[in-house]
Amino acid sequence: MPSSVSPKSAPILKVTDLKMHFPVKEGILLRANKSNKAVDGISFEIQPGETLGLVGESGCGKSTLGRCIARLYEPTSGSIEFEGNDITKLKGRALMPYRQNIQMIFQDPMESLNSRHTIGDILEEPYIVQKIGDKASRAKRVRELLNIVGLPTRSITRYPFEFSGGQRQRIGIARSIALNPKLVVCDEPVSALDVSIQSQILNLLVDLQKEFNLAYLFIAHDLAVVKHISDRIAIMYLGNIVEESTGESIYHEPRHPYTKSLISAIPIPDPHRRVKREIISGDVPSPINPPSGCRFHPRCPRVMERCKLEAPLLRTVADHQVCCHLDDL
Amino acid sequence: MLNLNPQTLKRLRRFREIKRGYYSFLFLAGLLVVLSFGELLVNSRALLVHYEDTLYFPTYSDFRPGTDFGLDYDYEVNYRELQATFDEQGSDNWVLMPPVPYNPLENHAPGGVFKPTSPSIDTRHLLGTDTTSRDILARLFYGTRIALWFSIAFMLAVYAIGITIGCAMGYFGGMFDLIFQRFIEIWSNIPFLYMIIIVFSVIPQTFTIPAKIVILLTVMVLFSWTSMTYYMRTETYKEKSRDYIAAARVIGASNTRIIFRHILPNVLSTLVTFMPFTVVSAITAITALDFLGFGLPAPTPSLGELLKQGTATLRTAPWIVMSAFGTLVILLTIVTFIGEAVRESFDPKKFTTYR
Ligand SMILES: Nc1ncnc2c1ncn2[C@@H]1O[C@H](COP(=O)(O)OP(=O)(O)O)[C@@H](O)[C@H]1O
Ligand code: SF4
Ligand SMILES: [Mg+2]
Repeated sequence: MPSSVSPKSAPILKVTDLKMHFPVKEGILLRANKSNKAVDGISFEIQPGETLGLVGESGCGKSTLGRCIARLYEPTSGSIEFEGNDITKLKGRALMPYRQNIQMIFQDPMESLNSRHTIGDILEEPYIVQKIGDKASRAKRVRELLNIVGLPTRSITRYPFEFSGGQRQRIGIARSIALNPKLVVCDEPVSALDVSIQSQILNLLVDLQKEFNLAYLFIAHDLAVVKHISDRIAIMYLGNIVEESTGESIYHEPRHPYTKSLISAIPIPDPHRRVKREIISGDVPSPINPPSGCRFHPRCPRVMERCKLEAPLLRTVADHQVCCHLDDL
Repeated sequence: MLNLNPQTLKRLRRFREIKRGYYSFLFLAGLLVVLSFGELLVNSRALLVHYEDTLYFPTYSDFRPGTDFGLDYDYEVNYRELQATFDEQGSDNWVLMPPVPYNPLENHAPGGVFKPTSPSIDTRHLLGTDTTSRDILARLFYGTRIALWFSIAFMLAVYAIGITIGCAMGYFGGMFDLIFQRFIEIWSNIPFLYMIIIVFSVIPQTFTIPAKIVILLTVMVLFSWTSMTYYMRTETYKEKSRDYIAAARVIGASNTRIIFRHILPNVLSTLVTFMPFTVVSAITAITALDFLGFGLPAPTPSLGELLKQGTATLRTAPWIVMSAFGTLVILLTIVTFIGEAVRESFDPKKFTTYR
């Protein structure tokens, strides 16, 4: 797969045909007859130091994908390779070295910090768990981390509830970089924050990426957030990636009907944009009973007979990967 | 760490502001201390004996034969009589008795006939005696002590088992959860009173009284821990799926660490609010069992046993039922007041920082 950043280097993360199906328990016997196909056959790569933006409506499986990669879930099938090593089925101790390399930032910073622990406890925990350093060196590192994310040293003895949303997310970010990871899954890290604070946090993430050569899987439900910071953007719909390309190209030349509708929904007038407004109707179908064929067909303005029967495959159109039957993309 | 937490501090501060509960707590704590040193207050053994220029402290020592103090028998000294004897002799020898100079097991019937006698300051039976001429105050005193320690031990054991199993069910889920759920459903349907009757008809009469008490406690705990698991299971399951647990897992924290450092401290603060009520129900249960005759083995002093006597002699010796009933009411009210205050001040709905 071509990458706009460094086509020749080995990917840091390679995801192949990843599926995460949650069993759905129904009836009085609570048998798992059906499954929620939250992630249903996703493939992509991330290069070292690169940001891949992942955009899709709420409920389309972004968090599930991110959590599979951070190995909070064990995927149903497919593979996740980190620097060439398959980590899909690793458990317990075998996973420990990868825990250092793959970290995660969560959407709601209050939820992701234990309210009973001080900031010092929270930031020291990664080192305790990974058995790094002694008490003194860990304390020093915690102060460094606070400094890096722009919080005062006295925060160490404070508790999460004493901070504002933006400050809490800085704490979450500090924890995620504590172990010097190579890849950070950012699951909508600014969605829960005030708009006025969002750009500060985004800038911090960009600075950290430059300083520590981090690769990001940056999840957002809003294209506008990821547009500026992503090298490439993947558009997700109901457990699948429907289009992938560079940030600029996705924004100015979307190919997939779903991407087009997303772009046209962005209200800011842009003189360079050549996309006409295409508003899609209807609700997102359930991933428990996804539509046949192309999953977007019940809402697609250009749906054809074929789309209802046959699922399109990801194919290359110019510098895009698109998943659609249309010829004139 | 738990103690330094500002949430916990806030809760403790609030607890102290609820005067009724706080004073009840102080009273109960004081009562427990007094009861622990009860032998100094309510005892047939003397506190101090001064005999031929030597001081003796019989309270916690081995038994002393009467010959030690110049009496003509070699069984245990009757210190009340010794006191009277010394007074008559008018020598330097003297005896200091505790405020209530009776133990709960002795039948003090100077006339030789066992019968309830009414409260009297002269005989030092401040609340009278029961149907076998035992001092009621002494029996209430030690009965309360046993009931309280029994109930606290019961609570701790029930919580230890209930927390462990409930937490494991919620945390590990799957087959473990399923098997235990079914097991608990069956187990909690076994009639508890029958089990007590069966167990005590099976164990040999030769067992000592402490052994029988431990067996009773064990049977009660075995049939009571299940209710604790329901709460623990759902709470653990809820906590486990929150993002701060995911964050701990991403940095590589082990299950043990997640359970003990993250989940339990967050769940236990609510559990504390149940504790006084568990004690209340344990006191009630043990009293009811004693009343029915299936509780603490005789002649262990107990409130239930006194109530039973009291209802039988309601007309002839009303002081028995009055004092037993009064004690029970005071005890249960105090613990309930504490429970209310704890619940009021620890209620997570009031203090939680989450939505
Ligand atoms: N732990 C889980 N167990 C069962 N179903 C889940 C779980 N997590 C997410 N889902 C389901 O998977 C689908 C995708 O959810 P999610 O990945 O959170 O979407 P997004 O992050 O894009 O909003 C939803 O239908 C959701 O209900
Ligand atoms: S395959 Fe058909 S339904 Fe799906 S996006 Fe393309 S045109 Fe629309
Ligand atoms: Mg999400």
